[in-house]
Amino acid sequence: MKVLAREGHLLIVGAGLAGYHTARGARLNGHTGPITILGAENRPAYDRPALSKAYLTGAVSESDLALDDPDQPLDVRWVAGLHVAGLSEHPLGVLTSDGEFWAADAVVIATGAAARTLPETNPGDAAGRPYVLRTMDDALALRDICLEGLEVAVLGGGFLALEAAATCTQRGASSVIVAAGEEFPGARRLSLPVGQALRAAHEAHGVGFASSARAVSVTSTAAGHTVHLGDGSAVAADIVICACGAAPATSWLAGSALRLSPTGAVLCDDFGATSIPGVWAAGDCSEWQSQSKGLRPVGHWQEAVEQAAVVAAGITGAEPQPMQEPYFWSDQYDLMLQGAGAIASADEVRIISGSVTTGDLLVSYLREGTEIGILGFNRLREVKRWRKQHQRKKAAVLAA
Amino acid sequence: MVMLVRWAVTSTDMSLKVCSIDDLRPGEGLRIDSINPPIAVFLTEDGEVYAIDDTCTHQDASLSAGWVEDCRVECPLHESTFSLVTGQVDQPPAKKGVRTHQVHVSGGAVYVELSTAAPNLPPGVIVA
Repeated sequence: MKVLAREGHLLIVGAGLAGYHTARGARLNGHTGPITILGAENRPAYDRPALSKAYLTGAVSESDLALDDPDQPLDVRWVAGLHVAGLSEHPLGVLTSDGEFWAADAVVIATGAAARTLPETNPGDAAGRPYVLRTMDDALALRDICLEGLEVAVLGGGFLALEAAATCTQRGASSVIVAAGEEFPGARRLSLPVGQALRAAHEAHGVGFASSARAVSVTSTAAGHTVHLGDGSAVAADIVICACGAAPATSWLAGSALRLSPTGAVLCDDFGATSIPGVWAAGDCSEWQSQSKGLRPVGHWQEAVEQAAVVAAGITGAEPQPMQEPYFWSDQYDLMLQGAGAIASADEVRIISGSVTTGDLLVSYLREGTEIGILGFNRLREVKRWRKQHQRKKAAVLAA
Repeated sequence: MVMLVRWAVTSTDMSLKVCSIDDLRPGEGLRIDSINPPIAVFLTEDGEVYAIDDTCTHQDASLSAGWVEDCRVECPLHESTFSLVTGQVDQPPAKKGVRTHQVHVSGGAVYVELSTAAPNLPPGVIVA
């Protein structure tokens, strides 16, 4: 693994969470050379989780979501509104769409992911396109609509979809229907009780659920949208929000020598090193070895933060912190849902306490009888304790 | 649990009685909701009692539910930790520290003298 000279130029492509934390980590590890961060959006780097929640309700502003601390800004050159066009191995660097070449001693690819959309049919005078929720501009477009009296359809059954449904309900939509692609949202990934608890919480706030078939396409006319589901049923709506996942934003790497996954993710080892020496990748644009094996989740905020720290360590020759147990959270209405551990590999789920209707469900995930994960609704203390205790165990194992 | 807030007659005349020492568990925090914005009282494993603002400065989460270690509390949502002694934060996502409040324990009761500084509440959270 090639370590970057302390005075070398670190070029980070992508001004999101992974890009910011890579730069921060490199500085913490003593990198003194220039750091440049190229961002496609015309905004200072920001944190995305609130885009489907507090930013969408107007409770927080753009400056509240800034990643960089105005009181202690990183010593970094931020370049906003610039699109990358290609990666060069010799000489090492990146070409941008304005024709400029950015030479570097190390390149970190952190371009994130782009919202997936469904096939759309738009006869003339259509009622606008479906909305997505990935960037601040996406959220701003949705925030600018007065939802009162409007029927909203949310496509997708993940946390983004559910958070958007909760927010639209709170903002006065006359109806919100979720096409979650399963009867109980999240049940496939997180177990039936969790799906039941999520559905119960949304139904208690008046949110409806379409059939369990996945949404497959959207037809838009001047009168509104029709969402078509895989079982032939349909949902009519004034506003459609497509929260059907994201795809790595790596089309600019087509034609490079980088190894990509079938979905376009930059393939990395578990230190973030790509198939090209001096080129690293972190966050949603990448797929690390343990993610390819299904051992770690993809697309979580926490993964991006920790991967960035590992990459920063690798680049600067510092000792990387071991990755923690996977972790995610979501807030919907008055529920804070948190999950931790290798939930995807569980073969058994037990309800430890609480119930699916009382907003206090706590479940344990087991594999071959050993607890490997936890998930709680408004169980902040229990989930944090579980995470810290597992982190300690891991540290003890590594030290032994 | 009774959490009476009143102007208590103690050695410091600006103190509030917030809880009994028996309400506290070593290594855990107790949220005092009757104070606005709420504060969190911690009893460390070493037997020291501290009081800080309860709400993480990054996002609305109760620090009383956090992980206490080495005289710091780690937010239950993310990895920012706050010093129980100074209130200072160590790393993102929080950028600002929390207020600390002076504590003294007398006759089994925990008294707090609230900071007069402005609280660093997270965006979107206002003092009701």
